[in-house]
Amino acid sequence: MKTILLGAAAAVLLHITPTVILVKREDAVAKLLPGAERFAARELHLSSADSRRLHDAVGWEPADGVVTFYLGKRQDQVTGVLLFMRVDSQHGPLELAVGYDPGGGGGGGSIRGVEVTKATVETKPWVLEALKAGLTNAYRGLAVGQAPTGAEKVKPHVAAMPGYMAELIDKGVMHADAAFRLLYRP
Amino acid sequence: MLYDLGRSDIRVRWLVTLLLATLGTSYLFGAWMVGLYAGFGTTKVAETYGAAGEAMMMQMPPETTMVTERPISMAEMGEEQHHVDMNLLVQDTHVHMPMYAVIAAVLSVIVLGLAVSRGVGLAIIALLFAAPWLDFAGMWLTKLVSPRFAVVTLAGGWAMALGYTVVAALALWEMWSPRSDGK
Repeated sequence: MKTILLGAAAAVLLHITPTVILVKREDAVAKLLPGAERFAARELHLSSADSRRLHDAVGWEPADGVVTFYLGKRQDQVTGVLLFMRVDSQHGPLELAVGYDPGGGGGGGSIRGVEVTKATVETKPWVLEALKAGLTNAYRGLAVGQAPTGAEKVKPHVAAMPGYMAELIDKGVMHADAAFRLLYRP
Repeated sequence: MLYDLGRSDIRVRWLVTLLLATLGTSYLFGAWMVGLYAGFGTTKVAETYGAAGEAMMMQMPPETTMVTERPISMAEMGEEQHHVDMNLLVQDTHVHMPMYAVIAAVLSVIVLGLAVSRGVGLAIIALLFAAPWLDFAGMWLTKLVSPRFAVVTLAGGWAMALGYTVVAALALWEMWSPRSDGK
């Protein structure tokens, strides 16, 4: 009986809480791809070599081998590029929308902005505290290839768990950055 | 039977009744959630747990990166097809299997107090534990082998519902039917 009770307690403690939407995807798109008249989804089914390049660069590759760039276009010109990135943790997944000024891609360009679109019931207050401390300001204008340092900037002003969330968000931005730098072609 | 649920103390019967009611409610919401995120048909389940998008057609990575581009509306960008990739499935399996085991164990303890033959008891307990195994085996086989294994996940879901319904119906009948003389 003791084992059953301990098992039940462990299961409850380990259970990941439900997902909550912090910013609707449509709102993130409107904010990060402003002025776009049309949109396109560019899906890349990665070869083993490209998956390895990503993995070598940042220790991550998409689990199903697919990276999707969402392009905002005006008069057939790409005005912005957006990626939705998921970051997993033992507290459940976060989802980020990372928008880029294309600037030629393949090494050019810069981050236009980052929105945290999803968290979980448990992580939401931590994420909100990190955001309130100005986390996403640290990414705006960051050149592609430059390491994100949002967590470093907000950690002195927030508690431990919001600081940890900031580290996860840094990681997501770093993954998006590697995908954009290594795989996006205008 | 190891104990007689039908003639047990009213506190035990009350506990079991509330437990069954709570589990039943959570199962109803579980079914609603499955409807929202994965669906009840093999096609939807295969889309949720199989390889992503068009990659379903090619389980192996291509020799060179393949690029496809298609126009998309703002509304479509907002619609996210719920897809469980390998990392999420690892996490789901890790967090859900212990809970499923605890639920199966608790329902099995109820079965031990039912007035059923040893063989029927063994069969119901086997069903209670087989359901989560089928559920997750189906998800993993759909992911790694073929989308056709989505039917195993569906079988797991129905087995879970059947197991709960059988235990709840028998237990409630034995505990609260007029012939029950529990104190």
